[in-house]
Amino acid sequence: MSVTPLRGVILVAAIVGSILSPRPAAAYLNLSVDLRGQTIRLRWNTTPIRWFASDRGVPGVSASDFQMAAARAFATWQAVPTASLAFQFVGFTSAPPFEDDDLSVLGFENRPELERVLGATDFVIDIVTGEIVESDIFFNSAFQWSVAPGGNAAAFDLQSVATHEIGHLLGLGHSALGETELRGEGGRRVLASGAVMFPISFGRGNTADRELQPDDIAGISDLYPASTFRARTGVLRGRVLRNGQPVFGAQVIAFNPATGQSIAGFALGASGDFQIAGLTPGVHVLRVEPLDDADVESFFDRSVDANFAVTFYERLFVAPAGGVGEHVDISVRPK
Amino acid sequence: MIRHLVIAAGFICCLAAGGEAQTGATPSGIEVAGGAGLFFGGGLGTRDANLRANSVTPTPYRLFTTTTSFGAAPLVEARAAIGLSRRFAVEGRFGFNRPELRTSVSSDAEQGNPITAVERIDHYMVDASVLLFLDRLRWRDLIPFAAAGGGYVRQLHEGHTLVEDGHSYHVGGGVRRRLFVDDRRFVKSAGVRGDARAYLLSSGATVDTKTRARVVVSGALFVGF
Repeated sequence: MSVTPLRGVILVAAIVGSILSPRPAAAYLNLSVDLRGQTIRLRWNTTPIRWFASDRGVPGVSASDFQMAAARAFATWQAVPTASLAFQFVGFTSAPPFEDDDLSVLGFENRPELERVLGATDFVIDIVTGEIVESDIFFNSAFQWSVAPGGNAAAFDLQSVATHEIGHLLGLGHSALGETELRGEGGRRVLASGAVMFPISFGRGNTADRELQPDDIAGISDLYPASTFRARTGVLRGRVLRNGQPVFGAQVIAFNPATGQSIAGFALGASGDFQIAGLTPGVHVLRVEPLDDADVESFFDRSVDANFAVTFYERLFVAPAGGVGEHVDISVRPK
Repeated sequence: MIRHLVIAAGFICCLAAGGEAQTGATPSGIEVAGGAGLFFGGGLGTRDANLRANSVTPTPYRLFTTTTSFGAAPLVEARAAIGLSRRFAVEGRFGFNRPELRTSVSSDAEQGNPITAVERIDHYMVDASVLLFLDRLRWRDLIPFAAAGGGYVRQLHEGHTLVEDGHSYHVGGGVRRRLFVDDRRFVKSAGVRGDARAYLLSSGATVDTKTRARVVVSGALFVGF
């Protein structure tokens, strides 16, 4: 099989749109490409996924510290019981990230011009199959980093950001499950997040994103399902409408009162379609909100319809144990 | 579970201690009954939809609050009983009702509209009871009885997309009155009865692991063979 490199860059809190196509997201936002008229989800088809660590450290984080923090982040994804994933650390390398060298490299790069980007992930994919064949991650050494077990109030937690970036490396996009407020000096401050894959970091000293959330677990399990995942979880499918017309880009949250878990997806289909997979069987409350807690460019390459108010669906949705529940049409309230 | 059974058994024993010789109060053979009543609803618990607040120490950020309950609903039931002695009988019961499962949503962080989301549940109950007839407490033709037992609960969600099941334990009692008795006929007796029971339901459609109490009242016509 011939492999033709096609590069796309995913930046934390920045562009993903160059390789992202609108499509109903399954329990999450999966990165995808349009190939020969078909939308194909980006994923690795071969495991273990082999990765290298850069041999360059930064003040406070040696190359060895870096490798161990990255290994812990990989292990977090590998430990998801409903997903089938495996990784292999191959060794240290002097090759920098973002080189087309058939090596998936994680390492530091000094990119002071990217003043709001902590890290970024890029891919080389097979444009015939959509398979990821190489993916590199850089961590911006213009920022101060920490690998302290309890975090460092003056530095960003490397393991937390690595966990987020490895989610991208695996083919996940950003989750909108979070709340933010605008900062006076520009940008946004995170008030709360329900996913490691939320596009904006918690901030210095915070280590919360070392631990995956239900939304992350549903997303990765849908992309790399373990043998029992489909049979033990349910799928929600429906449409978001306003005055009978489809709403593009609305975020749908499915909350299970029995488990306390929230899993989100987007209405990205031409008819306002959405799909959320990985739901624990049982009743769910459905909440729709406009995508207004992060830059839209962090998610899609086109504008979204945010001209509606937060709306709850008037019926309870029941996720089955395996398969798809009843289709729902949610009519949102105008602002 | 064991604790509930002990409570039920204790209830029966206490009442039995006060019993005395019966005078045809118990079913003499097989007795069947059919009736209707009311399943009283009740709360199933409150749960917040939380995100992780942006704090170094783990702190929840409430996105919204949910409070879930079962609504009251009419029920139909069928029973079959066999007399064991002048004082005791055993009885099997099948009950069906369709309560609404309601989740009220409030306190949304972004001023989402408060709403009560609902679905209808097909609620089946199959249980067995020991009945103790208290002829000593008879008032005119009304004979009181006490009952206790356990059973199985099956709940089928709307659209038949999911089945949940659990166990139930109950205590209660009622009164019955024979309207007709003739041992020479195939139908040997007929009458009416009223029941009130407190059920402890575990599992099933719930938002936590607590065992919840529910009350059922019903009336029935019975026929003895």
